[in-house]
Amino acid sequence: MMLTTLILAAAAPAATAVPTPKGDLLAIRVRRAETIANGTYEHAVILVEDGKIVTIGEDLPIERGIPILDLPDTWVVMPGLVNAYTRLGMTSQGYNDSKPGVLASTELWPGTSYEAALENGVTTLGQYPAGNGIPGQAVAVQPIGATKAEMTLADNVYLKIILRATGSSKKMIKDGFKEADKFLEKERKNREKWEKAQEKKKKKKKKSSSKKDKDKDDEKKDDEEKGDEEKGDDDEKKDDEKKKGDDEKKAEDDDEYVPLVPDAEAQAFLDLRAKTLRALVSISSAAQYEHLLDAIGDEEFDWDLRVGLTRNSDIFHVKDKIGASGRRVVVEPTLTLHPGTMRQRNLPAEFARAGAKIVLIPRSDSSTAYGSWLRNVGEIVAAGLDRDVALRALTQEPADLLGLGERFGSLEAGKDANLIFLNGDPFEPGTKVEAVMIGGKFEYGEVNL
Amino acid sequence: MRDLRVNKTGLAAVFAMLVMAPSFGAIRFADDEDDKDKQAEGGKEGEEDEDADEWFALLNAEVHTGTGSILRGASILAKNGRIEEIGYDLHVPDDAEVLDAGGMRAYPGLVAISSSGLFGGTSDLENTVDPYGRSMVLALASGITTAVQGNQAGKLKRGEVTDVVASSEVFVSLTYSKGDPRGKRTLREKFDAAAEYIRAYRQWEKDVKKDKELKAPKKPSDSATLKVLRGEVRAKFRANERTDLLEIARLATRYGFRPVIEGCAEGWTVADELGRAGAYAIVTPRSRRTKDEKLTHDAGSSIENAAILHRAGVQVAIVPGTTRIDLGGIVGRDIIHLPIEAGFAVRGGLPESAAFAAITIVPARMMGLSHRIGTLEVGKDCDLIVADGDVLHYQTFVQWAVVDGKIVYDKADELFFAHIRPRPESALAPETKVDAGETAVEEPAEAAGDPDDSED
Repeated sequence: MMLTTLILAAAAPAATAVPTPKGDLLAIRVRRAETIANGTYEHAVILVEDGKIVTIGEDLPIERGIPILDLPDTWVVMPGLVNAYTRLGMTSQGYNDSKPGVLASTELWPGTSYEAALENGVTTLGQYPAGNGIPGQAVAVQPIGATKAEMTLADNVYLKIILRATGSSKKMIKDGFKEADKFLEKERKNREKWEKAQEKKKKKKKKSSSKKDKDKDDEKKDDEEKGDEEKGDDDEKKDDEKKKGDDEKKAEDDDEYVPLVPDAEAQAFLDLRAKTLRALVSISSAAQYEHLLDAIGDEEFDWDLRVGLTRNSDIFHVKDKIGASGRRVVVEPTLTLHPGTMRQRNLPAEFARAGAKIVLIPRSDSSTAYGSWLRNVGEIVAAGLDRDVALRALTQEPADLLGLGERFGSLEAGKDANLIFLNGDPFEPGTKVEAVMIGGKFEYGEVNL
Repeated sequence: MRDLRVNKTGLAAVFAMLVMAPSFGAIRFADDEDDKDKQAEGGKEGEEDEDADEWFALLNAEVHTGTGSILRGASILAKNGRIEEIGYDLHVPDDAEVLDAGGMRAYPGLVAISSSGLFGGTSDLENTVDPYGRSMVLALASGITTAVQGNQAGKLKRGEVTDVVASSEVFVSLTYSKGDPRGKRTLREKFDAAAEYIRAYRQWEKDVKKDKELKAPKKPSDSATLKVLRGEVRAKFRANERTDLLEIARLATRYGFRPVIEGCAEGWTVADELGRAGAYAIVTPRSRRTKDEKLTHDAGSSIENAAILHRAGVQVAIVPGTTRIDLGGIVGRDIIHLPIEAGFAVRGGLPESAAFAAITIVPARMMGLSHRIGTLEVGKDCDLIVADGDVLHYQTFVQWAVVDGKIVYDKADELFFAHIRPRPESALAPETKVDAGETAVEEPAEAAGDPDDSED
């Protein structure tokens, strides 16, 4: 493999005629770039600065003095792969009941196990806590960094729920929301109590004050009572109140209401309801999907599905229902058999056609699975999955699932320069990841200028 | 016959059944907490208000209502899963799901009074049912739309997990056998206690009007027998031997309840006694039981068992020898051959109507669900099957199954039997007006539905 190399070392900017504004500029010129956001760019130029993509386009003129990385003709650049559902480098131990407060981030351990992911083009990972039932919340990491903090991109990215068609499993979800309700009820009562106490105080103090003031207070109280039960609202109210308090009477500042703090378990479900946390529900059969809907009932929160594809998966029964809901479906790139037959089914493709958003993950967390990830996706693309959908399913969709879609997942101006350099079409057998760039730096492989 | 409309009369019949079925030999209390019937009805009505109505229409069928009438070329209209109208020239709303039966026969869905594995779940039906399971498809293919699993009755609602359970307590299982004299005595004592409590309670009900302080009598420790005597649930005994059957009949007569006797192989020898005791029998016509040759009286099994019991006034339900789906051994003896087992009772002399009732309305009555399932009547659940011939005939296939007004099985869509005698085109497509002349139009064969049916 020959590299057409131009360009200078990192010190180059200083030596150039046109001084570059912020030092770290780099232009990448490649025959083909899969942008995800805007389709395939031929003869693409990607301008990277300070770890971000500044601009990307076809045949863009490059200012003199900017170091240019000219890639071989066969090469392809695409955004770094995102595996939103993994336990890479973690043990399989976990709880078997409802522990929504558990964080996968606590198990995080920087180590060599992440190299397999990195070498195969993975730049972002979503790591979930192990166990059955409701094992806890996932963390988004990058496969580089010597400490937990360096690795971590975001915590509390999704709550993992495993649903099975049993009474106890369904009850876990219902109970979770019940806990949240219980807390809200407790909070409400606590607040009422505080308000009453406050009122008494005022009455005592205000024996001499005018009637006008009293009316004002009543108004204020009414406002408070209207307040929603949600915690966020409460906080706002609290702020309002504080202001009013400041204006009206400075003496009462220290008697400010302190809301109760929910425990981690209740908090997770409160977050679900407030939609600051999403759920990833793991199911493996069509029946479990129906039971999931039954267990959720009227609760409204954001949730996506993880469907483990077994050889004889019968999940196709509900593909239209899932598709119509437009949810994300996390699946492995694998062909299954229609139950009781040897007829192949391409369930990822069927889901995509039905309208679901597909997230593709490696078949397992072994290094071989990471090595054959792109090839496996290529197989189901060959078997009928839309190519663009497949590319999205490896990048933007999982990034969105992790709530990091603004930073990763596509080649667009303003996003992180997480790029992978392939020596051919990503889905062709034999294509290899030659280099991986995270945040503008080559973390794996060398591409010489 | 042709212009018979069943809506009004049907409704009346349902009401009659509602009133009669529970009151037979039953003592109802004012404080009865769970009036299942009322609850079920209330729930359904609430739903109607919320959403737009869901309509289903079965057109052009030979409707065997299960109540004795056969309506040729009739239609059935269902609203929100319940039968709204049966008759001719019905107005079908535009948004109705329409199924053209192509002149084939429509029957009420079959009821399996005993089964296992059809729902794919555990005893906690509601939370474990697999509404996409293979067993459920096979059961529907055999015509079963309601089945008892464990002690729960469930509907084979494909693709749905809500409202699956039709009855959460079908029977109270009791043992009363000469092999266990002590057990017999204990059971009698329990019944005595329950009967005494009921008497005391009635007295208290009267007295408490005068003296408000009066305390209600204490409930007996055994709630099962109390439920039986109150008529809330039927008692089921498993017995085959003549002596045991007689004993059960005596016990039932003494305490005034109607026993369900499963097995009942030697029932034909004591049919009169069982009939007088108002017994229900769950029989397997093909089961064999040898006679002890030392005995001088009749004993052992008889192919005529069901017929003789029926003649003596015993309500007979039929189950096959194996109550699960059996993929080993000789074909045709497991639960998906329920109608064939009933056919064997016909061979033994049971009238066809009674044999059909034995897999529909009789088991429904046993469970106290005759107000919802078992026959095609206005007001009942729209659970029906469309078959290409006499349902008891071995050659007949169920073409469609409908549960709660939704098509849950279509023979042509499932891999199991679609290729065997594929459904004739004419049955699929309703008669359409085609321009005459140009193309030779194939006659929409009248007899396409049931070419092999000799019974018509």
